[in-house]
Order: sequence, then C-alpha cells, then structure tokens
Amino acid sequence: MIWHIAKRELYDNLNNLRFVLAIMLLIGLMITNAIVYLREHPTRVQQYRSSATESLEVLKARTDLYDIALNGPGDLYKQPASLRFCADGGESFLSEFVDGGYWMWGYGDGFRDFWLLNYPTSNPNLLNIRPDVTKVDWVFIFGYVLSLLALLFTFDSVSGERERGTLRLMLANSIPRHTVLFGKFLGALISLCIPTVIAILINLLVISTSSAVHLNNEAWKRLGVIIAVALVYIFLFLALGLLVSARVRRSSVSLVILLLTWVIFVVFVPGTVASITSGLSSPISSDELRKRQNQLHNEILEAYIDRTGGDETPERTLGRSEYIMKQMEQQERLRREHLDQQITQVQQARAVTRVSPAAILQHSLEAFAGTGFARHLQFLENVQRYAREYREFVENTDRSDPESLHLIGVPEGMSKKPVSPEAIPKFEDTLSLGKDFNTAAIDLLLLTLFVIVLLSAAYLAFVRVEV
Amino acid sequence: MLLTLIRRELLDNLMTFRFAAAILIMLLLVVANTAVLIKDYERRLEAYNTAVQKHRQDLLETKTYSAVGLTAYRPPNPLSIFNVGLDKRLGNTLRVSYLYVPTLWDAWKHGANNAYLNIFASIDIVFIFQGILSLLALVFAYDALAGERERGTLRLVLTHPVRRGHILFAKYISAMLCLLIPLLMCFLLVLIMLTTSASVFLGTDDFFRIGGVIFTSFVYLSLFYLIGMLISAATRRTGTALMLAMFAWGFLVLVYPNMILTAIETDPHTDTETSVYNQIKQIWEEFDRERKQFLANDPVPGEDWDFGLWGDDGYTFWGGTDDSSKLLYYESTGFHFETLKEESEPQVPHAQNYHRFFGLQVTNTADRTWIVRKPALEMIYVQPAKKEQMLLKFSPVGLYDSATEAWTGTDLSGLQDFFMAGQRYQQAVVDYFLDNKIFESRQWFVAAKGEIDWNMLPQFSFQRSDIGTNAKRALPDLFLLLILNLILFAIIFLIFVKSEV
Repeated sequence: MIWHIAKRELYDNLNNLRFVLAIMLLIGLMITNAIVYLREHPTRVQQYRSSATESLEVLKARTDLYDIALNGPGDLYKQPASLRFCADGGESFLSEFVDGGYWMWGYGDGFRDFWLLNYPTSNPNLLNIRPDVTKVDWVFIFGYVLSLLALLFTFDSVSGERERGTLRLMLANSIPRHTVLFGKFLGALISLCIPTVIAILINLLVISTSSAVHLNNEAWKRLGVIIAVALVYIFLFLALGLLVSARVRRSSVSLVILLLTWVIFVVFVPGTVASITSGLSSPISSDELRKRQNQLHNEILEAYIDRTGGDETPERTLGRSEYIMKQMEQQERLRREHLDQQITQVQQARAVTRVSPAAILQHSLEAFAGTGFARHLQFLENVQRYAREYREFVENTDRSDPESLHLIGVPEGMSKKPVSPEAIPKFEDTLSLGKDFNTAAIDLLLLTLFVIVLLSAAYLAFVRVEV
Repeated sequence: MLLTLIRRELLDNLMTFRFAAAILIMLLLVVANTAVLIKDYERRLEAYNTAVQKHRQDLLETKTYSAVGLTAYRPPNPLSIFNVGLDKRLGNTLRVSYLYVPTLWDAWKHGANNAYLNIFASIDIVFIFQGILSLLALVFAYDALAGERERGTLRLVLTHPVRRGHILFAKYISAMLCLLIPLLMCFLLVLIMLTTSASVFLGTDDFFRIGGVIFTSFVYLSLFYLIGMLISAATRRTGTALMLAMFAWGFLVLVYPNMILTAIETDPHTDTETSVYNQIKQIWEEFDRERKQFLANDPVPGEDWDFGLWGDDGYTFWGGTDDSSKLLYYESTGFHFETLKEESEPQVPHAQNYHRFFGLQVTNTADRTWIVRKPALEMIYVQPAKKEQMLLKFSPVGLYDSATEAWTGTDLSGLQDFFMAGQRYQQAVVDYFLDNKIFESRQWFVAAKGEIDWNMLPQFSFQRSDIGTNAKRALPDLFLLLILNLILFAIIFLIFVKSEV
C-alpha cells in the first residue's frame, strides 16, 4: 500500500514543473562543479608535489647534524584532498603549509637556537579584491539547493491535498494514516533522488573520465559515505516539509513558514552564530605574541650574560646549550599556546553553529572529503608529531656518537659524524577514514537525531490532523 | 477609485501571517547581527587608535631621517556595518617609503587577530536584506494576480469601471507600502543602535549615505516584487506561480552569483607578471650600477657606501623586497648612528655628497618603477575583479550589492581613495625630503643635538570621499535597477491588459 501511494506521488511530481526545473538546476550546478574541479585540481597537486620534493631535496643535501638541527626539514606541506569538489572547506583561508625557523640571538657569533615550528596563517584576503563567493561544491549543492528543493517538493503534500479535498477521499479508504504519510515521504524522496542521482552521476562521470584526476579506492568509499550523509540530510528537510504541511491549513502559508525557517537556519544562522560566539573569547593577537616572544628572548639572553659574563671562551660557548634549549622549549610553548587559543575560539564557534543542519552537513562532508578546519587540525597534529620525531632523531644520533659532547644547540658540542640522508625521518601527511568518522561522529549523531525528531513530529502531526 | 483599491490591498496584506512573520524574523536577524557588527567595529577602531598612537610615539623617538618608518593607517569605516565590502578584508597599514609608491597590494593588517575565523561567512545588513527582502517581496507578489484570478475576485473587480492599469498600480503601491514597513523598521533599529554606541560617529554625509542605502534597498525590493508579479501575471495557478517564484529566487540570489564566480576562469597573466617584474628589477639594477659608478668616481677611494663611518648605537641595513606576485622589488641600503666617532668626522661631507646623489636617484628610480608597475597591477588584479563584478550584475543581487557598497564607500574605489591618499602622502614626503635637502643633511644618518622637529614633516590625513562621489559611483547601478523596474512594470502591464479573466 505504501508503495502504491508513493507511486502516485511520484507520478504527480514527475509531471510537475518543479521536477524539470530541479533537474536542470542540479545538473547545471554539478557540471560546473566538475569542470572547475578538473581545471583547478591538477595544478594544485602539481604545486604540492613540486614544493614537497623541493623541501625533501634540501633536507637530503644536509649531512651535518648541527645543520640538520638548526635548519630543520624545510616547509611541510599539506596534501591536497582529491575530494575537494565535495567540500571546499574554506581551504583558501587555511594555510597549506607549516614552516619553521630559528632565532638569532643577536649576540655573539653564530648564536642561534634551532628549528622551531611556526604556524603561518594564510590571509589570501589581503590581495583579493574580487567579490565574495561561496564555492559551488557538493556542500553548497546539497546544503542550500537540495534542501530548498526538498521543501518545495513537500510543502503542499498534505496541505495541498486537504485544500483540494483529495485527502478526505483517500482517508475514507481503509488505509492507516502512517502508511499515507510514509508513502508521501517515500514518493517525495524518490522524486527528489532521481534528479540528484542523475546530477551526481554526471558529475562523477565527468571527473572520473578525465585523465587528469585519479580517484582511488578509498576516495570512492568516502564518496559513498558522503552520499549517505547527504541522503540523511534530505530526510531531514522532507520531514520538516511534511511536518509543516500537516500542521498548516493552507499550502501557501506552509511554504512561507518553511521558506523563512530555511533561510534562517541554512543561510543566516551559521554566520551569525559563529560571529556571536567567536566574539566571546579573544585570543592574544599576533602582535602581542611577538611582543611576548621578544620579551622572553631578552630575559633568557640577559640571564645568559649575567651568568657567564666576560669574554668569549670555549667553555662559555659550550655553556650556551642550556640556554638555547630553555629558550626553545619556552618559545615553543608560547607558540603552541597562541595556536591553541585560536583553535579553541574557532572550535567553539563551530560547535555552536551545529544548531543549523546546513552547518552539520558542512562539517561532516568536510570531514569525509578531507578538507576544512578539522582536516587542518589533523595536518597540524601530523606536523607536530613529525617535529617531535625529528628532534628525537637529532638527539638519538648525537647520543650514539661517543665523540660528541652531547651539548645540543652548539656546533662544537654536537656530533660531527656525517648523517646519511636516508636516516632522517621524512614528513608524511596521512589521513585515515576511521579518524574522520570520529571527527564527524557528533555531527552524524546530531543529524540523525534531528531527522528522528522531525519525522516523529511529522507523524504525530499527521495522525492528529483533522481532515 | 485608485485609493479604494489601494486601501483594500493594504488591509489584505497587513493582516496576513506572512507579514507578521517577516517583520519578526527580519528584526531578529538585524538586531543580532548589528550588535555583533558594532562590537567588531569598535574592536577595529580601538586597534586603529592604538596603532596610530604607537606610530606617533615611535616617530618622536626616531633620531635620524633614514631611520624613520612612516606609516599610514586606515581607519575602519563605520558604514561597513551596512555593507562590509572590502573594508575588513584589505590591508589597513601602509608603509610610506621613498623606495616605492605604495599601493593596496603592499598594505598589511594591524590588529588582525585570529585569521582562522575567516572560514566563517561574515554577515552584514545588506546581506540580510539581499536574502530575506527579495524572498519577502516574492512571497507578497506571487498571488497578487494569479490568486485573484483563481478566487474569481479579479473578474468581480473588473466588472466595475476600473482601468486595468489602475488595478496593477494599486496592487504595486499597496504591496510596496507594506514591504516598506519592515524595511524602515530595520533601518530605524540599526540607526538607534548605531547612535547609542559610544564609538560610532556619524556625520551629516553619513546619514545621506545611509539614505542612499535605504533608497537602493527599496528599489531592489520593488524589483523583486515586480519579478513576482510578472510570474503571477503569466501563470494561471497560484501553486505554479509560487513554485516559479521560488526557483527564480533560488537562481538569482543563490545559484547564479556563486556559480558564475566559481565557473569563471581568470587568466593568471604569468607572462606579464614576469616581464614587468624583470623590468622593475632592471631599473633597480641600473640604479645600482649608477650608484657604484658614483661611488667609484667620488674622491673617496673604493666603492664602500658606508664610507668607513663608525659610531655608537649604529645600525647598518641593506636588504630589500622581492615579491614577484605583487610586482614589488626594491633594494634599501643605509646606516644611521646615535653619535659619531671623532675620527669619522672628515668622512661626513663625502657621505652627505653621496646621499645627495642617492636621494635624487632613488626617488627617481621609484617613480620609474611606478610607471611600469601601475598598469601591470591594474591588468593583473583590478581588471579580473571588475570583470567578475560586471558578470554579477546580471543578477539584481549583484547590482544591489555594488550600489550599496558604493554608497557606504566600501567598494574598491572607496578603498582606493585611501591608497591614493597614501600615494599623495608619499609624494609629499619625498618632495619635502628633496625640497628641504634632507637626503644630504647630516641628520639623514647621524643624530644631532637639536632633535628633529617631526611636526614639520607632512602629516597623513585621509577623509572618506564626499557624498557626491559616493553618489556618482552608486548611480549607474541604481539607475540600472530603476530601469529594470520600469521594463518589468511595462511587461506586466502588457501581459495583464491582454490577459483573459
């Protein structure tokens, strides 16, 4: 029986103008998405490869341990996501690399720390005089366009029939109400899925037939998850549409309510809520960070001069090691603190935007596509782990040389043995699907909850409805 | 008769649910966002004031001319609350140096805190109106004609001796009056919030500019109402009309602007970039050759440009910038001392002589590079941006956005005003240096007993362009919006007059 009703709804929809418009709109957007992706992605990959190899070459050329410790492994690059067409994730606002450097002590000769991580923030806006744009990715197509279409497909499914009087006719038969409701739900779902699936297929066809991009097995798995999440997201809006349609007498009123709800929760809530929440905390500014770093540096330098004083002697030079290590540790802590504050501010804002289903969709799609803020945090984590490994490597190599004085940070106090380039750890930016599930778990949970609540509300509303 | 019709329509509209819901939602959004925007403005203003003060202090502590780092700061625009445009985005700190002519691309940001927050969309008042006002207008319009036709009341009205044009006109006027209420209420609330904030100062001109924004919003609203009415006149059933109206909204507001900007491919101009950059580099190399030649030929043997001067608390610098993406290249060399050693004194006239040559040549070089750099920057950065802006104008949203940006002065031209002022200031400083023979003075590199009177130096001042200029920039788009209104009204009239009831 459900199937019967669904079929009827489907035929109704297929003959409708909205179906044709939806199919055109979705296909147009998906083709744009694919073409732009094919145009941009190969260059991105090429750029990543060439800069990553460049960094590696420089690292390989070094053989002196002190040199390795001082100059570090060069810039560390973030691997571009091959599923960027699913979620752009504001990647252009997140830096694509992490660099490092050392402090000059500005006192005596060759008095330096060694390599420390730096967390550059990319600010492409400074040069960008172009109009603002939301990239047309799957997040945009599903989050904005498809959700709007879902409302347009359901707003009159109950109220429209009531207006025309056909609802009374149908319920006069011996059909349970929930069957009617689920039949309608199914009908709307299928009629919305047809254009979506066609559009997605065209999109993937364009992308996978191009020789410039190759999607591997894991990428296809991820795509499957992404489409599943999008499906749940559509459930949500269909349920919302049915709920309002069942509660309201006139279909035009139901559309107005739905549209206003949609505009608020999809378009305005994420931005508004994010800016309100981010205003609550204020991490130290980068100017302030610089001031503190200089202050710290001067303190340690003064302590060093006070302790040792006088002229440069070999013993004194070796005594630097202690101060260099101290400085490095504390500077690193300062930078980490600053970064953590910034991250916390963004995390808070992102957490609160979860009141909007569109933001939830964005977060989870970003997590599975390997873009966006969560991905950036994973990259930073990878980099930090690598930096630890790298430093340990320096220490261990030094320790294994019996001739060395084991005074790290001073050229004279460190191992002089040439280091083989193969032994130096290499940076690898990895991603794992399991980890991404963890990141997206809360979003997926929330989305499912939203759907369950709205579906049961729609059910209750429809069961109690007076015909 | 017209009045009766208007009254009827007005009452019809005012009593509806959609009207109440619309007002409530708009007010809620506007209040929440204005509060955030004002707070943000206050923070930026504070950062600006601190930066200016600190710069002033640093300047007063500077002892020599060559050590001076003049900087122009851009104050935040209070009207950015209405349309933020490029105001928050572009650099607000511009270094003014005799080495190059400063531009928008050389500026950076002071007080920029968490750059990660850029991943969130920023919402301003115009953005809210763009989305919701247009939606509202369509919701009001879709059943204006189709609904009456469906209910049969249109036939009833037309049995009276009323002209069809009058009916259309009455519907239009009354709906616009209704829509004006939420619009004006929102602006009123924003203005109240603005005037109660202690740090926002609005001049007379600003109120006119806000007036311009309100008028543009009104015209934009009317355009969407007419789009809705056109759909309503052309369709038989309200359901179809509503559907079409929503698709039109989705396409014009949501899909078209983003799709066109994503799809457009901009030529990176790599060839121009490298060739111009090399040209600029060559000009500097030429300067370097001449300088070396001068140093070789002057009475002091050798090519040392520090003339073996020695002193306390000195600082010697040689360096520069090479950034091919911004087409910026320069070399800076120099030195300055707090006090000079006795034995260096005989060298001073030679150093002064060199600096006379250096000053003339270096400013000349800066001017020459600017001649090459200016058109190249225009071509690489400004033209693509203008092209995108133009493409956006095929949607009313683009027209509305660029017109309001022009009123508030947060568009590209409005911001360029600041950078032009920076360029004029740079010219004034260079002229001051040349006219007063600062380059060849002893105080260029050695601090003297009598401290430098920094107040003599030209001061940087920047005033936002006057309302006339804003109006001039906004009028073309506003005019286009008005014309679109007229055309749509004419089409609706034609369709309606010919339609069968």
